[in-house]
Amino acid sequence: MRKQWLHGFLDLSLLCLLAERRDYGLGLGQRLAEAGFGDIPGGTLYPSLLRLEKQGLVQTDWETSTVGPRRKYFDLTPDGRAAAAARAAEWREFRAAVDRVAALAEETA
Amino acid sequence: MNAAEWHAACDRRLAELGVDPREARRLADDSAAEALASGLHPAELFGPATAYATSLASAARQPLAAPLARARGPVVLRLAGVTKRYRRREVLRGVDLVLRGGEVAAVVGANGSGKSTLLGVCAGSVKASGGTVERAARIGYAPQQHGVAPYLTPDEHFRLFGAVHGMGARKAVATGTRLAAGLGWRPRDTVAGKLSGGTQQKLNVVLGELDRPDLILLDEPYQGFDQDSYLDLWAQVYAWRDAGAGVLVVTHLLHDLDKVDHVLELQGSEDR
Repeated sequence: MRKQWLHGFLDLSLLCLLAERRDYGLGLGQRLAEAGFGDIPGGTLYPSLLRLEKQGLVQTDWETSTVGPRRKYFDLTPDGRAAAAARAAEWREFRAAVDRVAALAEETA
Repeated sequence: MNAAEWHAACDRRLAELGVDPREARRLADDSAAEALASGLHPAELFGPATAYATSLASAARQPLAAPLARARGPVVLRLAGVTKRYRRREVLRGVDLVLRGGEVAAVVGANGSGKSTLLGVCAGSVKASGGTVERAARIGYAPQQHGVAPYLTPDEHFRLFGAVHGMGARKAVATGTRLAAGLGWRPRDTVAGKLSGGTQQKLNVVLGELDRPDLILLDEPYQGFDQDSYLDLWAQVYAWRDAGAGVLVVTHLLHDLDKVDHVLELQGSEDR
């Protein structure tokens, strides 16, 4: 169940994390895990990022590092920033509706 | 499988799925760099190469090239009181529909309710017993069966169907290849009879669209399609609609119906 939910909300979660700050793939994976999503397989994470890039919501650039291999950084485009705000608001509305019906199940349990 | 083999397998699969070679190269390079940066074997980071390539290809798929503008709004299919009887069995009874360019109609109903018969009537391959059928002159038709010639390759199909529409061989093959890529399929030199059911159906769909018809008739196009291709196909249906074609789709998956303009529910046959 959680896995299906995650599929529906991964794009939103990535947009929100990137709204906070730009990051590379593994960093985003760690931040998702810290937020409580558990380990997100790279096979799920990277295609999501690619989809957001194709939609023009995310831009990427490669950064070389003095200590390690070069890394691909993801950042929001202006469209991505607007989409993050709009989708977060939609999500809050939807969450409130689910909370209201979930409360009914808890009351009768 | 070592890392290099993993990347090669990923690259091959991307090509098979019709991803542009330069784009495939870029995706493969990115994946290799990402795996290197993580210090993990690519299979550990991304999972199996073919599954990962399939997800990437689906995420990377561009909307099809901008369709040509078509006149929007004229009636492309008008059914009035269409009936079909086989002996005493009434398969269709009084079917009415007005489909305009830029609209999608879904035909639903149980097995045996006459969905394929209705499509045949719309295409002109089945004669109605009563009522009238008016339709646009240029139609594309992807039937459920018998749509492809088993001993011809996809390219030969493109040339043959292109010739019917007065298209040059080269243009027909180029157009067919581009449309196939939109469905995640790269046609190869294999005769149609050896293609899987899902791929044969993709060939059918491509042949139906080859001439930018005003009316597109699709019969259960998802049969044999995997989930991603199925979604791509619906994206394609809406792309045709947005380009101004009228699309009639036989389906029985109800969740598709909230976006279509007409739902035609067939009741099934009755013995009289």
